[in-house]
Amino acid sequence: MRIRKKALAGKISLLIVLLLVGLVAVGCTGIRGSPEGGTGATVADGTVFLSPSLKQAGGFGCSSPAVEGKLVSVSAETGVQRWEVPLGGAAPSGGFGCSSGATPVAVYGNPTLFEDLVYVAGYNGKVYALNSESGALRWVYPREGNMDPIVSGVVAALDKLFFGCADGNVYALDAATGDMLWEFATEDKIWSTPVIDGGTLYLASFDKKLYALNAADGTLKWEFDAEGAFASTPLVYNGTIYIGALDRNFYAINAADGTKKWEFKAEKWFWTKAVAFEGTVYVGCFDDKVYAFNALSGEKVAEFDLESPVRSWPVLAEDRVFVATEEGKIYTIDMVNNQLGLFADLGETIYAPLSLSDGVLYVYTQKQNLHAFNATSGVRLWNQPIN
Amino acid sequence: MDIGGIWNLIAMQPVINTLVVLTHFLFNNFGLAIIALTLIVNGAMFPLTLKQIRASKAMQEMQPKIAELKKKYAKDKEKMAREQMKLYKESGVSPAGCLLPMLIQMPIWIALFQSIMRVLAVIPENLAGLSQYLYSWPVVYSALPLNNHFLWLNLATGDIFLALLVGGTMWVQQKMVMAPTIDPSQKTQSSLMLWIMPIMFAWLTLSFPSGLAIFWVTSNLFRIGLQYWIGGWGGLVKSSPKRDNGRDKKYKQRIASVEKASTGDADIVPSSAQEEDLSYEESGDKRPDSGGGSPKSPRDTKPKSRRGGSHRRKRG
Repeated sequence: MRIRKKALAGKISLLIVLLLVGLVAVGCTGIRGSPEGGTGATVADGTVFLSPSLKQAGGFGCSSPAVEGKLVSVSAETGVQRWEVPLGGAAPSGGFGCSSGATPVAVYGNPTLFEDLVYVAGYNGKVYALNSESGALRWVYPREGNMDPIVSGVVAALDKLFFGCADGNVYALDAATGDMLWEFATEDKIWSTPVIDGGTLYLASFDKKLYALNAADGTLKWEFDAEGAFASTPLVYNGTIYIGALDRNFYAINAADGTKKWEFKAEKWFWTKAVAFEGTVYVGCFDDKVYAFNALSGEKVAEFDLESPVRSWPVLAEDRVFVATEEGKIYTIDMVNNQLGLFADLGETIYAPLSLSDGVLYVYTQKQNLHAFNATSGVRLWNQPIN
Repeated sequence: MDIGGIWNLIAMQPVINTLVVLTHFLFNNFGLAIIALTLIVNGAMFPLTLKQIRASKAMQEMQPKIAELKKKYAKDKEKMAREQMKLYKESGVSPAGCLLPMLIQMPIWIALFQSIMRVLAVIPENLAGLSQYLYSWPVVYSALPLNNHFLWLNLATGDIFLALLVGGTMWVQQKMVMAPTIDPSQKTQSSLMLWIMPIMFAWLTLSFPSGLAIFWVTSNLFRIGLQYWIGGWGGLVKSSPKRDNGRDKKYKQRIASVEKASTGDADIVPSSAQEEDLSYEESGDKRPDSGGGSPKSPRDTKPKSRRGGSHRRKRG
């Protein structure tokens, strides 16, 4: 009898071991179960606004992150926190097991300021408008329930808010009240942040199209067909739209009619937004490189190998462009002579867009630290854990 | 290059890119691509799987003899091991024959499993990470990101119906290979094992994306078909006669020849005792029957004679 019990225990142990091996196999993929988010810093009037990333509890396929995201306000001078507001109203995921419970309120798009309000959109499918001084909630959209996940950032202009949603629609809300003014449907998810230029809203979708809409009423002006989906945000510069896609192409498109001016094919995806300075466009790529193109002709002026993918948005500072790699190095490219220099090595993963304000470079890392550097001297002014 | 890099190069990248290409050619339907790739991989590993099933079956048929050896040499472990190895050798059955194919297949299954998880890439972090695994084939870049909808399913989330299907098909598959027994304690043990795995996988299915569940269901159905081809419905249907595939003869003939050679030595119970008798041998319980002649080969043994008892043996 004892032998049989031992045999049974042995078989059950074997099953458990097999299960553990399976879980380790899943865990080793590095695949996240839940969105992490984490925005760049938005700076105004001596205050930095950002929404921190959600740290996962670790473990295997079933890691559970903190469900509640938040919006944090810190002093731009010292990094000391002024207020933080939890972003509630998480949508139940409707799943089971690991996926049970509420969808975490990860925020990907930088907070946006308009008049006295600061806006953020969450992966839980809600848009929040808060008083920028106190953090008091002014309104939330939708008031009841949740939309599909929002990865796109929110753009404020013409008394309106614009954002894309994973339901494939771009929405225009009244910036003061949060009432919906119009919506425009694309054929797939929108993760890209729209861009407004004049009275035209440009937005890119997973349906492989770039759209130009009348910002006033959402009517279509033109659309451009690419070979792959768009996850990056367009740059409008001198009447041309520059945007990279998941087909590995970087496109220059005439902003007036949507015709293609030129394209460049890289080795991997373009995920980040481009920047432009004096006729040269700079864009980072997942092939570890930053490319510089003549904005008019598309001729490649230079390329810089940073040995790590570039996901974070770059920023311009006078005659330099700051670029961060995923592995945590920040480089400067001198745009006068196209010289690359290492600005800082943080050793912390960087996904969030870089920000620059009043000569200070702000970098938020996935280790939940906000770093502030003097952009000219490279001296670190402060760093503050924001979690 | 570290181990992770090598693994990505030889396992993850080929599987991920194949999945994406299949999706492109199967009407941009990721569900169909998972089914197709599972069948392709199962088909490619068919010889190994077949070998594993046959070796397991042969091992199962030898269990009465091994049990007898264990009983006889209970006090002399070394001798028992020697005799056991001798028996394996003479019968042409290798214990590694069960394990080796399984070990070879395991990395392939893990790669398939991990790839499905990665290609599903619903959240931005995962989609961005997928980029590092892609070949520079235009078709791959134009197909991504994939549509996660298949039938009524969102392939990225769990589904209760698929969980039941995974559990059900796994139960059927287990039941087919299970050796029937009338020993109550053995029966309890067997039925416990029969239920644990399906329940565990059904629970896991609820927790993981249903794309994985499609992979499990397809694999289970393939294995059920294979088991049926080799051994009929097996333990699933009580009265079902076992299908005897021609290739099984290799093992059976060898086992039978060992039996023949050992007729003078009644220490070893003939293989015709088969699985039903295993419980008695292991438990040491007294069989409800005794006496009778031993058949010449396993195929000569009729179900009645198995239970009715026609074996003569000397208890150690």
